Amino acid sequence: MFNSRLVRRQIAGALRQSAVFVLCVALSMVTLVSLGSFSQSVHSSLLRDARLLHAADIIVKARSPISPPLREAVAQMERRGAIDSARLHEFYSVVRADAHARGAEASLLADVKVVEPDYPFYGAVELASGRPFRDVLSAGVVVAEQALLDRLQLRVGERLRVGSATLTIRDVVTAEPDRPVNFFSLGPRLFVAAADLASLDLVGRGSRVEYTILARVRDQRELERIAAELRKVSLRDREQIDTYRSAESGVKRFFDNLLFFLNLIGIFTLLLAGIGIQSTLGAFLKEQERTIAIMKGLGAVSRFITGHYFALVLLLGLAGTLLGLAASFLLQQFLPPLFRGLLPATVELSISRGAVAQGLALGFLVVLLFTFLPLYRLREVKPRAIFAKEEPGRVRSGPAWLAGGAVILFFLAMVLWRIREVKTGLYFVLGVGLLILASFLCAEGALRLLRRRQPGSLVLRQAMKGLFRPRNATRAIIVTLTASLTVIFAITIIQENLDATFVRSYPPDAPNLFFIDIQPGQRQPFAETLGIAATYHPIVRGSVIAVAGEPIDPEQERQKRGDNLAREFNLTYRGELLEDERIIAGKGLFRKEWPGLQVSVLDTVVKMRQMRIGDTITFRIQGIPVEARIASIRTRTRAALHPYFYFVFPEEALRDAPQTLFTAVRVERERIAPLRNRVAARFPNVSVIDLSETVTVFARVMARLSAIVRFFTLFSVAAGILIIVSSVFATRYARIREAVYFTILGARGRFVLAVFATESLLLGGVSALSAILLAQAGSWLVCRTALDINYRPFPGTSLLLVLAAACLVVAVGLGASISIVRHKPAAFLREQTDE
Amino acid sequence: MAILEARGISKSYTVGSRQITVLDRVSLAVAPGEFLVIQGESGSGKSTLLAILSGLDRPDQGRVLCEGRDITDLREDELAPLRNLCFGFVFQSFHLVPSLSALENVMFPAELRGDRRARDKAEALLERVGLAGRAASLPHQLSGGEKQRCAICRALVNGPRIIFADEPTGNLDSVNGRAVLELLLELHREHRTTLVLVTHSPEIARTADRVVTLRDGRIVPGSDHV
Amino acid sequence: MKGMVIGFTGTVLAIGCLLAGCERRSEPGPAVRREQPAFEGTVVAVGDSLTAGYGVREEDAYPARLEKKLREAGYRWRVVNAGISGETSSGTLSRVNWVLRLKPDIVILETGANDGLRGIDPRLTRENIDETVRILKQNGVTVILAGMRMVTNLGREYTDAFAAVYPALARKHELILVPFFLAGVAGDRSLNQPDGIHPLPEGYRIIVETVWPYLLRAVEGKKRERKMNR
Repeated sequence: MFNSRLVRRQIAGALRQSAVFVLCVALSMVTLVSLGSFSQSVHSSLLRDARLLHAADIIVKARSPISPPLREAVAQMERRGAIDSARLHEFYSVVRADAHARGAEASLLADVKVVEPDYPFYGAVELASGRPFRDVLSAGVVVAEQALLDRLQLRVGERLRVGSATLTIRDVVTAEPDRPVNFFSLGPRLFVAAADLASLDLVGRGSRVEYTILARVRDQRELERIAAELRKVSLRDREQIDTYRSAESGVKRFFDNLLFFLNLIGIFTLLLAGIGIQSTLGAFLKEQERTIAIMKGLGAVSRFITGHYFALVLLLGLAGTLLGLAASFLLQQFLPPLFRGLLPATVELSISRGAVAQGLALGFLVVLLFTFLPLYRLREVKPRAIFAKEEPGRVRSGPAWLAGGAVILFFLAMVLWRIREVKTGLYFVLGVGLLILASFLCAEGALRLLRRRQPGSLVLRQAMKGLFRPRNATRAIIVTLTASLTVIFAITIIQENLDATFVRSYPPDAPNLFFIDIQPGQRQPFAETLGIAATYHPIVRGSVIAVAGEPIDPEQERQKRGDNLAREFNLTYRGELLEDERIIAGKGLFRKEWPGLQVSVLDTVVKMRQMRIGDTITFRIQGIPVEARIASIRTRTRAALHPYFYFVFPEEALRDAPQTLFTAVRVERERIAPLRNRVAARFPNVSVIDLSETVTVFARVMARLSAIVRFFTLFSVAAGILIIVSSVFATRYARIREAVYFTILGARGRFVLAVFATESLLLGGVSALSAILLAQAGSWLVCRTALDINYRPFPGTSLLLVLAAACLVVAVGLGASISIVRHKPAAFLREQTDE
Repeated sequence: MAILEARGISKSYTVGSRQITVLDRVSLAVAPGEFLVIQGESGSGKSTLLAILSGLDRPDQGRVLCEGRDITDLREDELAPLRNLCFGFVFQSFHLVPSLSALENVMFPAELRGDRRARDKAEALLERVGLAGRAASLPHQLSGGEKQRCAICRALVNGPRIIFADEPTGNLDSVNGRAVLELLLELHREHRTTLVLVTHSPEIARTADRVVTLRDGRIVPGSDHV
Repeated sequence: MKGMVIGFTGTVLAIGCLLAGCERRSEPGPAVRREQPAFEGTVVAVGDSLTAGYGVREEDAYPARLEKKLREAGYRWRVVNAGISGETSSGTLSRVNWVLRLKPDIVILETGANDGLRGIDPRLTRENIDETVRILKQNGVTVILAGMRMVTNLGREYTDAFAAVYPALARKHELILVPFFLAGVAGDRSLNQPDGIHPLPEGYRIIVETVWPYLLRAVEGKKRERKMNR
């Protein structure tokens, strides 16, 4: 019994609400499908990448020669045809140019990797010549990093002495699959063929070598079984067996967390979209009330009516679904440039069939859940609604509770499913619940405050009255707006704080070269060689024995997460604060009136163990116990890369202590290698740490992260907008009525617009202000507890957010009201008396 | 001079694909201080005529003059002061602003023009019609009769020259209806306000100074009687 | 630096994790008692992580064991652990004056291993140790030089040059030489930590046995010296 013509007419008659409904469904589809596809793509790419990162399926590592049982097990598997294997040896060695040129280093410490021909099983070692690695690396031939050639002033084709062998440099390596970011290596890379291992005569008793066996598994389904078999025969604490899935990958962990965060946003967006769905359907059905009453008056049963409107819902839902799918496909075009640089280039972002199926199923569920209540309420429409104009309907709350409960359960299930950690999932749901409760309290408070005020301006008064229309939805709108705005604001503020802590603290002028172990006597000549203005920090090594009388237990300390007090520290001495230091406790760095030795500690130390001004720390500096009283506690205003010191002593205290100097400077990329060579030549004891690579990667990563989070936050904003639009439309009739009344009573169009604008402004203003308050509180909580970074309120950004949100609400409200203002009084009156 | 005049008013609507002529070359003049009733059956176009006479609607053809001034083509914003200061409206469905109390409803037109004494005037009017005790009530808390009396006060608060009433007793029972009508008449006599009232009831028509009958969009000739 | 990457990853890990970590607070233990009993002489063990005892408790590192052994043998001498993990021979040279503040009678000098692991030219290592020894001897300190050998993967040329530094210096300055500090310990998986370089407590026990006779020689030598100077 589906009257399609009637349905189409009804939709056409309530085009606005229908459109918003369709958009809400579309939004939920886009959210589900896009995020789902993205997760899938990243996951499979990461797995693919993990293989690349490890160049194998199974990785066996040890610091001593692989034990015979394990070797035998590998050999057996290879004979069986289950795996292919390749052995690797990695170690440092001093290599020399065969005939050294003048001015070049005579010898150089190199990071040697001896590989069997099958390496790498996945990915490729890229050579400058473009030729395949396997073809180039053979007996008698080596491939080196450019830095090695530079520092030894060798060219391709010349010979290199490695151990007892003399080998020819045949090519330059530009990229290794299993060395994505060059974190820290004592020397440049040198690839040697396994055939030459014996002739090197470097590996054997008394050598420090990392022994690796890489394995490619022929039948992927056997992966875990084979790994388990190998584990059984390995020496538990000396030999490690990993698969590319289980191997610790910073990248994988990183993406797990990013996806986790995005999933949270996705679920929240879904919730908002669902609210939009419910609200628009409710308004749509309200407009249909007359029709429904008539239908009932004519004898239609509830089931027929409900079925009829359910069919209508399905039709609109279908339209929304198709729209959403189309939008998802479109979106995939935008995602790659957004994620470029963050995801390895091999990641292909595409819509996965699985995600589409999932999206359809979940979308259907969401529509069901959120349309249940309005459809159920159709029962309560009585035929006499035909006659009565203002029916203060009584609503039974039973079904409302049922619907609400179902929604909560559904979202709990979604959260747990996507996020998998029960505790976190519960926290999230709890958080959302608290957020809604807090929004509700803010709304109540604000409304109560407004109710008392009786402003003089007629416009303002009318606007406020508008908020309190009988049977109004103001409270619901404010709660919804506040909740969604709070999330958006909070995300923005947390982003700003993360930005400030990580991205902006890697500004272009952050140091990228750290020079350590400079001898005090070398300071002058070193400064000349460096040629850059730099601060030289004295470093005195020492350890902490006790704090305020309590001795440090090294075992217990080492078990702590993060930094602990059981290690050696770089103590320093000076009289002033560094540019990025600030005193947070104590009067000044040191106290002149205190006798005896003082020390200033960094707040990170206080986090490791509670200590206060005046407490005594017992250090051990070169064997001598030294006691110092804490005179002040400092904090850094910049994080990470800029040098920082946990303990600062006054000058006189440690001036005579054995010390080295340390400095950090920024050097342009091209000048790094020549500078290193110069320093290495004149000051061989000075060690250099090159962070330029790490810094650029980090900066890029952080920038990408911000962009991604903001992008996905847009979805929530869209959902919020749809809810605003829907609620404005829902009160459309009442507004038209008031506008017409005002007009009849002699108000100008300007007046009517002003009233609506002011009403939207009040609505938006209350929501935005409540939201920023809640957002600040929430952001502070997250930054200080979960992220452990400094928190700043960013008043400028906050103000901008509030203004933007308020303007958005006003714009939407006015946009919807323009047509209302144009509504001719006569037309309205005619419709009124129409029977 | 007639305070209100309609010359050759025609109005038709397009309903679906058909054209319905509601008014066909209607001409009418209202004398100042007169109580005119426009009578007719439902569908005769009387409400439309009232709407056009009061500037709430525009005719397809013809002119409307108020105190000699042509108001036919005035824009909404230009009609606004007219509606606020010269006209007062009373509707069958009352049309009180639901979010305002009875007092606030009555005050509204006066506040629109910035009248400082709006509250006093409104209170006095409500007192006059016996609604002083209900001043703070919202429309949905008032009975039909109370709502209409409130609407009448609203119509009067700015001392209008003409009051337009469209079936003012249509939604009231006979007791309340009579009371409202008597109130209208009283006020009309007191202030000598021109009263143009639309009704289908012959009894109500009988109380007027003059009655004009509409049938099928035209004035029944010879119906112009006292 | 790896620490920063870990820190960054750990921070991202913490997003969404609203659970506050628990931190066990250590029980207040007995206050540090500064023991300053009278002692007859001071031995200062100057060196790198092999002296400092990286990865083991201080009482398991060799200086503390040596002190215990001395006491048990009836010598009321103190052995100060002046080892700094990761120090190169340059660093040792730079703090020799600080060490002299302890007024050592004997110094066990164990350094150079980190030079080797960084591939630093053995000639530089020799210069540093040479100067260090000179200053110590100038101040009347008896020096026991701990001979070191380098891991073979660095290459024969390098390891030979490296190993030659110690006997050469011992000859030049007439020092007591421990031929190879890690004799019997290096290369033995059961005596070293998983990194293959730093000894386990059992390893340090062997080192103490290795060093003991030379220390005894030095102590007796010092006692004779004092008697002669009276």
